[in-house]
Amino acid sequence: MFSYMFMKILEMRPRSYDRRINKAVGGRVTAMKQAVVAEVPQGVRVLEIGCGTGELAEMMLDRATSVEGFDVSGTMIQVARERIESGNLQDRMKVRRMGVEGMDRLESGIFGSVVSTLVFSELTDDERRYALNHAFRVLAPGGRLVIADEVRPRTKGRGFAQAIVRGVMLMSVYLVSGVITRPIADLRGEVLAAGFEVENEERSHGDAVAMVVARRPTEGAKT
Amino acid sequence: MSLIKTIWGLLFRLFPCPTRVGLRRVGDPKRDSPVLVTCNFDLTVKRLKRILERAGLDAWLLVADSKGVNVWCAAGGDEFDTRSVVSVVKTSGVADEVDHRTLILPPLGGPGICAAHVKEETGWSTRWGPVRAGDLPRYLLEGNKRDEVMKRVTYNWRERLDTALGSIFPFYLLGALGFLIFGRSLFVDYLIVGAAMFLFLFLACPWLPGDRGLTKILIPEAVLMGLLIAGELLSGQAGFGFRADLIIAMVLLALFSVELGGTASTMRSEFDPFLARLGIGAAGNLAWAGTVRTELLNGYRDLTCFPELCNGCRRCYEICPIGVWEMDGEKRAVSTHLESCTACRACLVQCPTNAIQAVARETQPTAIPSPGA
Repeated sequence: MFSYMFMKILEMRPRSYDRRINKAVGGRVTAMKQAVVAEVPQGVRVLEIGCGTGELAEMMLDRATSVEGFDVSGTMIQVARERIESGNLQDRMKVRRMGVEGMDRLESGIFGSVVSTLVFSELTDDERRYALNHAFRVLAPGGRLVIADEVRPRTKGRGFAQAIVRGVMLMSVYLVSGVITRPIADLRGEVLAAGFEVENEERSHGDAVAMVVARRPTEGAKT
Repeated sequence: MSLIKTIWGLLFRLFPCPTRVGLRRVGDPKRDSPVLVTCNFDLTVKRLKRILERAGLDAWLLVADSKGVNVWCAAGGDEFDTRSVVSVVKTSGVADEVDHRTLILPPLGGPGICAAHVKEETGWSTRWGPVRAGDLPRYLLEGNKRDEVMKRVTYNWRERLDTALGSIFPFYLLGALGFLIFGRSLFVDYLIVGAAMFLFLFLACPWLPGDRGLTKILIPEAVLMGLLIAGELLSGQAGFGFRADLIIAMVLLALFSVELGGTASTMRSEFDPFLARLGIGAAGNLAWAGTVRTELLNGYRDLTCFPELCNGCRRCYEICPIGVWEMDGEKRAVSTHLESCTACRACLVQCPTNAIQAVARETQPTAIPSPGA
């Protein structure tokens, strides 16, 4: 049926996903991922929310002792598993198919860092709040949260420019990738609301991508 | 903005029209008010709210993420599934607002939402609501009881026009653009003839002989062809406009009929199984060949109930929007009119013992655990 053809949300071919996305934005995703890796503390256990094909997870192994990732897409997880297999990374990298709603099953206080890139803009408001609350819970005190994602620019002019570009891009991006993203209005505020202390926020891509680095305070539990 | 979204939802149903996911109040819901789960297609949520408000009912509406697509299409396309429901139940905070733990699910979500898995992962019990939102007030007032009418889909003239308009309008608009650019003299003719053919096909389709779009249009096409020939014979000078109108009508009728079945949840889809038979199994990132649905529609698999595995739970009977399944004297599921099965897969998803399987021709039952197990 036509409806099926159009409405079936298209999955990017996962095997070429990283390459295609990167190409589409002129190699800037790799740059962003490198910036994220640089924020991961040395020698800790890392949780990645929405690990996709596991590319970033593998990059983080340069600094982290181990990385555990989850992703809602079965095809992405399949590619990540192939990556683990071919890189012989079974001892240090684990992935599973799960959405953020499964985070309540993770043990408290066991991670030194929680990382997420280009995932939060695909989540609902409730899911983001839920994910941030659980990220806080699973982090050890002093543990670091690193989130890089599409956000709404701070100035009206840039916000308008983003709206125009998105208006033009929305349908084609949907048809190619099947993904509808929404720039996050106040990522920093949401991170603060979950009890984190924000250490740094960097903006790039015409103010439309933010990297928020935050810390679970060492003392005083979240109330 | 709200009006624009309503119009978009009506005319461009092929494309998503998302609304905010999460818990919403309808009326003044209390701690014992029902929790109704639905998709996040803007028009669906608006219609549901209107129906409940008009009936003066208080309810919690739990809008789950279906990527802005309606319940039936999203469930069929794996976008409205168990995870969507589990996620919204766990992240929306609905548990803090009510004392009970019962979700009323939309039965047309049956191909995607496995009720047993929702219970397993959230602890919430589930019940299937009525197929049509219009029956919700009666369902709620009668103590969440479904009669036979509430279990099965219909395709009356209003539903036909509603769903067909949403699927065909974008193509109609494309055609209009084409005429506007390349054949302005026929632009008005196209608009009128197109609208007339649309109304004719979808109002008359139950009475047209044939079991699919392409057979249903044979007689109307023959009549149009007859008119065309008669026009030529009677007056060799039959006006250019008259001839052109008839040709436009014939072409549009054929185009509109290509996926007649796909516009309704009561009819079998024809277009993508047909492409699969031709050997066209995928386009871009979309693949339909090799899916259970396509193979059932093409007769490569048969929907079969293995009586030795059936525990008589009646879930297939309850969920099938067509009413393909009946219970026999031994309380085992039997399919009575499989020919009208639309291959939506709801029974396969809900069957807790894997008694219902889509069996490739000439094989025996296997012990694969079913999603509902």
